[in-house]
Amino acid sequence: MSGAASASGVLLEVDNVSVSFHVEHGRVLRAVDTVSFQVAKGEVLGLVGESGCGKTTVAKCIVGQITPNAGAVRLEGRELGPKRTAEERRAIQMVFQDPYSSLNPRMSVRQVLSELLGVHRIVPRAGIEDRCRELMALVGLPPDALGGLPSQFSGGQRQRIAIARALAVEPRVIIADEPVSALDVSVQATILRLFEDLGSRLGLTIVFISHNLAVVRHLSRRVAVMYLGRIVEEGGRESVFGDPRHPYTRALLEAAPRLHQTELVRPVVRGEPPSPIDIPAGCSFHPRCPRAEEVCSQVRPLLESVGTGDEHLAACHFRREASPRFGDGTPPTYRDEAPFGALEGP
Amino acid sequence: MTPLLEVEDLVVEMRRHGAAFRAVDGVSFSLERGGALAIVGESGCGKSITLRAIMDLLPSGGRLVSGRVVVDGVELEADNRGRGRGHDQRERMSIIFQDALSALNPVATVGNQIAEAPRHVLALGRNASRERAIELLRLVGIPDPERRYHAYPHELSGGTRQRVMIAIALSSEPAILLCDEPTTALDVTIQTQILALLCELREARGLSLVFVTHDLSVVSQVAEQLAVMYTGRLVETGPTEIVLGAPRHPYTAGLLGAALDVDTPEREPIAIPGSIPDPLRLPSGCTFHPRCRFATLDCVTTDVRLEPVGPDQEAACLHSDALAAALAGAGRD
Repeated sequence: MSGAASASGVLLEVDNVSVSFHVEHGRVLRAVDTVSFQVAKGEVLGLVGESGCGKTTVAKCIVGQITPNAGAVRLEGRELGPKRTAEERRAIQMVFQDPYSSLNPRMSVRQVLSELLGVHRIVPRAGIEDRCRELMALVGLPPDALGGLPSQFSGGQRQRIAIARALAVEPRVIIADEPVSALDVSVQATILRLFEDLGSRLGLTIVFISHNLAVVRHLSRRVAVMYLGRIVEEGGRESVFGDPRHPYTRALLEAAPRLHQTELVRPVVRGEPPSPIDIPAGCSFHPRCPRAEEVCSQVRPLLESVGTGDEHLAACHFRREASPRFGDGTPPTYRDEAPFGALEGP
Repeated sequence: MTPLLEVEDLVVEMRRHGAAFRAVDGVSFSLERGGALAIVGESGCGKSITLRAIMDLLPSGGRLVSGRVVVDGVELEADNRGRGRGHDQRERMSIIFQDALSALNPVATVGNQIAEAPRHVLALGRNASRERAIELLRLVGIPDPERRYHAYPHELSGGTRQRVMIAIALSSEPAILLCDEPTTALDVTIQTQILALLCELREARGLSLVFVTHDLSVVSQVAEQLAVMYTGRLVETGPTEIVLGAPRHPYTAGLLGAALDVDTPEREPIAIPGSIPDPLRLPSGCTFHPRCRFATLDCVTTDVRLEPVGPDQEAACLHSDALAAALAGAGRD
C-alpha cells in the first residue's frame, strides 16, 4: 500500500506494525498503530513527529529491541523474527540521541571497535587495528582517538564514535534516533554532513528520526510524519513539505521557527496531544485540528494517496485538497474540546 | 529614561574538580522598561549562569565575584547564599527554567506552589492567594483551573508544567521575567503556544524579558535586542534583525552559517571549525581566535572587548570590518 518502491529494491519494510502495552485497569496504550513504510536501498527516510508519537518505538521494532504485537519488519523481503540471527543483528544498527550515555564509559574506542570486529569476525585478528583506523577516518576522527575514553571527548566527537561503532559491523541500514538533537548548533552541521556522506559514499540506507523539520527536510529523500502512533502523511520530501495534505504536517511546518521571522507564529494546533491510552475516536488529531469537520470525529481516515500520482499519502478526509495555510489568518474551526495536560505516557 | 535593568561587569567564578574558572567574565547589558533581550550562545557559554547570578541563585560551586545588578535605579544586594533576590525590591524579578519537572516542587500541588508568593511576598490571605492562583492558572491558558489546582507536577504534561512555571513566576507580580531556555525541551507546536503566551503577557502586563536560548531561529519572534555569548563574554550585541542580518563578529556569522533553515533545505550548513574550548584552558586574547579565519597575531595578544561598530551595534572583534566586507562580497545566502 505504501507505494511501489519495490521495483527499485526495497531493502527495509515495516508492514502494518502495531505495538501496544497493557496498563492498569485493563486499559491499552497504543504506542504504534498499523505503521507501514518502505525504504529503498540507499535511501534516507525521515521519520518526523513530536514526543509521544511512537517514532522511537518504531525504531526499536526495526532494530529488534521490541517485538511488535502485530505486523512484521522485513529486510530484503525476509521477515525478521523476535529472535534475530547475528547476521540480522549486524544488518541494522542504531545511533542514539544522547552521546553521553550511549557509550560505555569504561571502554576505550579501540576496545569497543575491536570487540565488535572480533566477535562478528568482520576481519581476521591481524587486520583489526587497521580496520579501526579506517573507521576513525570514515567518521573524521584522528587515529589517536582510538586510545581515548568517552569522557575525554566532546558531544560531537562521541557521536562520531557512536557512528563508527554502528559502521564497524558493516550494516545495511542505520536507524538514527535524534542523533543531533543534543549537540550544539556548530557541531550539528558536521554530524549531518557525516550522515550525508555515509549515505552517498557507502550507499547506506538510513532511517533518520527527528522532531526537527529543518534537519529532516535537509537530509531525507522521503518523509513520514507520525502522530499518536500513526503515520499521518508520507511521500517524497518536496511533496510532503511543499504540498502538505495533512493539517498536522502543515502546522509543524508553520510552527518551525525561522531566523528572520519577526511576526510571532500564531499557534494553530491547540491543546496538547492526548494520552495514547485515550486516543480520540475518528481521526486522532481532530480535537486539535484547525479545520476539523463532523466526519473527522466519526470516521478514522486511512493513509491513502492524495491523488497527485507520486506516492504521496495522507490520512485525512480532505487529502485531495491542499491543506489551508493557517499562518495567513485562515480562521481555524475546531471540533471537540481540545485535550490538555494529559497524563504523560510511559 | 533609566533602563529598568542594568547589569554591569558581572563576573562569576565556578569551581569544578577543585579548579576555578570564570563562567561569566565581565558581562554588561541593560534592558529598557517593556523591552526584551535575547542572549544566545552554545552550551557552556555562561548564559544560564548569568541569569542565575542576576537572581542570586547560583549553584553550589558558583560565586559572584564582582559586578552590579541595578533594577529601576536601585542596586540589588547579593549574599551569595542561593536564596535569591528580587522579592523585596520595588520592581520584582522572576525566573523560569528549561525543565519544569525539576524546577517544581514534586510534593506540593501546583496550585499551592502558585499561591506561595501571593501569600508570603504579597502578603495576601489564604483564600485570596488561592483565588489569585486560580486566576493565574487561567491566565496562562490552563483550562479547568479549579481542578488543576490540585494536580501534582508529575501528573501534568511538559507544556502544562511550563505554563505552571510561568504562573508561579508571575505570582509575585514581577516587572522583569528572566527566561532560561523555556521552550528548549518542548515540542515545536507547544513551543509556539508558550512563546505566544510570553508575548501576550509582555504586552498585557508590560513585562520586560531577558530570554536565554541556544536556538537562534527563535529569537526574532521573541526579542528586539540580541546579545551573543561565547566563553563567558558577550561578543556581539545589537538589534536582533541587524545582528542576524549583518553580524559583525565571526562567531555570530559562524552560528548563522551552521544553522539549518526549514525553508532552504538545499543550503549546506557550515560547521564552525574546532570546538568550544575547555573553560579551564581558554585561549589567550580573543578566545575565539583558534577557530576564526580572520584571526591575526593581534587577536592572540589583545584582550578584545566590545566596541561600537554601528549606531546600536557592538562587537568584540578587531576584524569586524573585514568580516562585514567579506559577507557583503559573498552576497550572503
